[in-house]
Amino acid sequence: MEHDPHLQRVLDRMRSGVLSRDGFLGTDPRPLEEVLDADRSAVAALGTTHEEVAARLGEVLDKARAGLGTPIRIGDRLVATHREAMGRIPCPFGGCGTFPKGEVELTDPATGESLFLTALGIHMVGKHGFYQGRGSRYRLEPTALGRLMQLGGG
Amino acid sequence: MDGVSFVLTSTVVVAATCLASAVVLLIAERYLANYGPCTIDINQGSKKLEVRGGKPLLATLMQQQIFIPSACGGRGTCAYCKVKITDGAPPIAPTELTLLTDEEQQKNVRISCQVKVRNDLAIEIPEALFRVKQFTGVVERMRDLTHDIRELRIRLVEPAAIEFTPGQYVQLEAPAYGDNPEPVYRAYSISSPPSDKGHVELIIRLVPNGICTTWVFTMLKEGDEVRFNGPYGEFRLAEGDAEMVWIAGGSGMAPFWGMTRHMREHNVQRPCTYFFGAVAQRDLFFTDEFHDLEKAMPGFRFVPALSGAENDGWTGEKGLITQVVERHLKDGSGKEGYLCGSSGMIDASVKILKAKGIPEDRIFYDKFT
Repeated sequence: MEHDPHLQRVLDRMRSGVLSRDGFLGTDPRPLEEVLDADRSAVAALGTTHEEVAARLGEVLDKARAGLGTPIRIGDRLVATHREAMGRIPCPFGGCGTFPKGEVELTDPATGESLFLTALGIHMVGKHGFYQGRGSRYRLEPTALGRLMQLGGG
Repeated sequence: MDGVSFVLTSTVVVAATCLASAVVLLIAERYLANYGPCTIDINQGSKKLEVRGGKPLLATLMQQQIFIPSACGGRGTCAYCKVKITDGAPPIAPTELTLLTDEEQQKNVRISCQVKVRNDLAIEIPEALFRVKQFTGVVERMRDLTHDIRELRIRLVEPAAIEFTPGQYVQLEAPAYGDNPEPVYRAYSISSPPSDKGHVELIIRLVPNGICTTWVFTMLKEGDEVRFNGPYGEFRLAEGDAEMVWIAGGSGMAPFWGMTRHMREHNVQRPCTYFFGAVAQRDLFFTDEFHDLEKAMPGFRFVPALSGAENDGWTGEKGLITQVVERHLKDGSGKEGYLCGSSGMIDASVKILKAKGIPEDRIFYDKFT
């Protein structure tokens, strides 16, 4: 594979300790291109697109943020709780500006399954098709998203 | 030698020569480049610095005790260290392009950690940055205010005193630790009053995956030395005697804790209602202290409110802090709004204050939120 200086800069920013303590790749041993390819296929298999996934997650984030820390019901199954944090964080892909910190825990109380959403995480899904590496706190595993959000009728 | 061998050999020789030249240039750039003395003119002659060229502008200014806010320590990732270069700027580097909007590029705004000083420059920065200093101190006291909020009280060592206005912030340095190879800086409002010149107090909430807050909560101890620079920021009480509406949540308490004590010390009579939002009783802190201040300050009122469903025994205000403001604030005309908290809380509060008649230019908050 040819050396891509831009991709190398992106990878450098994704390392732990650069933009966040744990970085964006978790414990995933796969190269970034492989992570992106696998998630692209998984999302296509759900019958949706990165943009649609990001739009749905963005709606959840907005509703949860409006709750100012109070748990908010999402539809008839899910609960979303926003945890505030001051400050902003830039996108590791660069050129996208900065995003407010803070996270939303989206839970299905019936199954106990949960995911953590952030403004930056949702941006990276929609614009870069990046769901973060496995083992990352903020990994948005497409199949788990499909179950939790009933994407593609899942 | 046949034709194919000649072409291959020539290609290899040319490639190797180019590679060697590139390596030599890189080494020269790194170790030998001497751009000689350069002049940095700040704010059209307000200050002139004679510096040695070759280093990034951010670091060069820091050597001259001029601190530009920067969260990433000069690694070109946070985009905070923007300055306007009005003359002598080199072409915009690819690393800057990703961090600057088109409008900023047109206005000669640059990422100062990515601009190397190679010749004379003219730059523009806020005059207030001339007063920013680098401090070292010792953690004199560290106490948990809630399950995820901690207060640091830092005794200043060098310089031994700080001058600031209530509402301003400092940038605390989290040193390299664990997987974090270089120091990073994070902004925290000063929560102590300016009269306590020998100390700085900070109120810090643990951020999951946060570099600096993880260090504060898991590694920092009383007696440890810490470094920070400041003060920064324009968030402060505006001149005048307009009635004030303060809204905060969580660690957004910090500037108001300092402002209230400052007002008490100076017998400021300005009417003020402070709305503090939390989810549960375990998220409240300084409640008794603020109720004591209410008694000592006739115009001051403290309104804590809880939004969680399970708050048995709580007899105070209930609901989202914006709903509580909606109920209490009848008419905002002539009043000023002061906000500190998450971006979500700021957005919601601005909306409600504007709806109540407070003009947007009378609503104040720090942009680092």
